[in-house]
Amino acid sequence: MLHLVVCLKQILDPEIPPADFKLDPSAQRAAPTASLVASIFDENALEIALQLREKVGDARITAISLGPPSAVDVLRKALSMRADDAILIREEDFPGIDAHGCARVLAAAIRKLPPADLILCGRETGDWHGGLVAAFLAAEFDRPYTNFVAGITKEGDHFHLRRQTEDGWEIVRSAAPAVITVTNDDHNLPRIPKVKDNMMAFRKQIPAWTASDLGLVPASVAGPNSKLEQSRLYVPVVDRKCEIITGDNAEAKARQLVERLAALQVI
Amino acid sequence: MRNVLAILIPAGAFSRTEAETITAGKSLAAQLGADLSVGILGPSDDSFARECFAFGAKSLTRVEGLAAYQSEAYSAAAQQIAASVAADVILFPSTTYGLEIAPGVGYRLGAAVILDCVGLIGDSSGNLTITKPVYGGKANSELIARQGPVVIAMRMRSVAPGEKQDGATGEINTIPAPALSPRTQILEHTTEDTGSGPKLEDARVIISGGRGLGNKENFVHLEELARLLGGSVGASRAACDQGWVPATLQIGQTGKKVAPDLYLAVGISGASQHLVGIAGARHIVAINKDAKAPIFQVAALGVVDEWQALLPKLVVALTEHKARNS
Ligand SMILES: Cc1cc2nc3c(=O)[nH]c(=O)nc-3n(C[C@H](O)[C@H](O)[C@H](O)COP(=O)(O)OP(=O)(O)OC[C@H]3O[C@@H](n4cnc5c(N)ncnc54)[C@H](O)[C@@H]3O)c2cc1C
Ligand SMILES: Nc1ncnc2c1ncn2[C@@H]1O[C@H](COP(=O)(O)O)[C@@H](O)[C@H]1O
Repeated sequence: MLHLVVCLKQILDPEIPPADFKLDPSAQRAAPTASLVASIFDENALEIALQLREKVGDARITAISLGPPSAVDVLRKALSMRADDAILIREEDFPGIDAHGCARVLAAAIRKLPPADLILCGRETGDWHGGLVAAFLAAEFDRPYTNFVAGITKEGDHFHLRRQTEDGWEIVRSAAPAVITVTNDDHNLPRIPKVKDNMMAFRKQIPAWTASDLGLVPASVAGPNSKLEQSRLYVPVVDRKCEIITGDNAEAKARQLVERLAALQVI
Repeated sequence: MRNVLAILIPAGAFSRTEAETITAGKSLAAQLGADLSVGILGPSDDSFARECFAFGAKSLTRVEGLAAYQSEAYSAAAQQIAASVAADVILFPSTTYGLEIAPGVGYRLGAAVILDCVGLIGDSSGNLTITKPVYGGKANSELIARQGPVVIAMRMRSVAPGEKQDGATGEINTIPAPALSPRTQILEHTTEDTGSGPKLEDARVIISGGRGLGNKENFVHLEELARLLGGSVGASRAACDQGWVPATLQIGQTGKKVAPDLYLAVGISGASQHLVGIAGARHIVAINKDAKAPIFQVAALGVVDEWQALLPKLVVALTEHKARNS
């Protein structure tokens, strides 16, 4: 049986309009002006884990999240998409955790599970866009790491990973166990949970593991990124005026637009 | 005292990506009072080396016998180069491969790692001030790295290549490729057919479509415009996710960063994650039926209309304009 572990983080909805975005008075993070959602690529990651399970038949998917109590919502969503198990790790136990720490805590949790054949993460979170945790997990476990994967097949004891590049696609053959990050394409849009699966997910127990459950001393997990000091977090000002092309009909607007483009010397 | 190393992963001849990475390294090194070393992963020729020196490398390390990209081999080679020049600030390109190996190299060197940065300044005591857009481009985070090794990847198109000094030279060192048995292997590489125009990263004109286009077939209208203007077609994530165009056309936070003279956005709302990709565009022009769409906040020119009505007339008006001016 394959064991697939999907790491999901709960974040503020990244798709709110800029006008609704505010900084927290501490000016160290965003104010909670939006609802909380699963980071978008993490759901793409879960989707391709589900597709892989459908292809190989015999696989188990565990969703894990290091987060506040509200992060159970992300895990419930994962269960309703039909992950088999979900585990929350109490983020409160690890104040001020950095990307290295996050990877170490997730690694400690994954070590408590049945051995993972594949660990799937999003390519980057939609809030801080670190792009680090998955590669750090791979380094923690000393496993091969492949980024920007959009689809997987199992070929013998290897995975074939369809990976996005600047100009197209690659098939990367990877030994198992492996760690990957997932990017979006038209084949891995997260599925919509069925109503009965929502109900099943709601009844399921989601354990919340603590630092001591993982045998970790919070202070010892921090890595070099914790030494970076955020001196400023600010909303950049865009000061552009848009000239709206007017006209009685589309034809008049099109002519006017061409005139203005010619004046800008771009056509 | 800091030692700055720029790692290059050539995909053929010396390109703007390499020029950007070296330029970022060169100006940082100058601010820190240091010299810039360059490490080249993968095959490269003498003309590639000359370009590195022309853009400001003082020394250069090649790896003998390192064939096509393989993440573990390239990571190990990058670490060896870093050790050989005692680098404590290491720059990687924000390419697929660069982003794949930078974090692991940093991890093993005990370095802080920051990817997708747009600003990098050093001072004479060796402190770095790094600017990284966060929250999908809605905010900027300014980070200070005081001591210890740092691995940084600058966002593509966030650095303007510096002046070249043709004829500049420097020291060339060669190290052997690390011996290891890699656990991954690239079996095949498929190039996506992305139309007749120039590469998006280099295009002077980009006609880009979003969810508002409604379906795959409607992209022919954008292709027609692109042909007329000698440009290329791009897209928002929403259009790529629908499968209307290949993912290689996606522009934005997790797509291409582009810097055309003209960026024409059709049926794109202008989410911050999309705007991140067009920060370097000289003139943004938007066609959107919703006057409140955020794209109009960054556009120089806007037309509030349905594209179905406007685009055919635009093709006619442009054709006439071309005829008059030829
Ligand atoms: C971590 C992260 C990374 C992301 N990376 C990217 C990225 O790299 N690139 C990217 O683009 N997005 C990215 N996104 C997604 C982004 O937030 C938006 O969801 C996406 O850009 C929306 O695409 P859109 O503008 O095409 O669609 P919509 O927001 O749905 O906008 C469609 C627009 O079309 C207009 N329209 C509809 N019909 C017509 C018509 N007939 N004529 C004219 N106009 C019409 C509508 O008024 C609307 O403004 C990312 C999101 C996250 C969280
Ligand atoms: N707190 C977290 N809990 C679970 N997974 C996480 C967490 N933080 C990051 N990840 C995973 O690592 C990926 C990359 O995160 P980052 O390196 O922070 O951009 C995310 O898309 C998740 O899959």
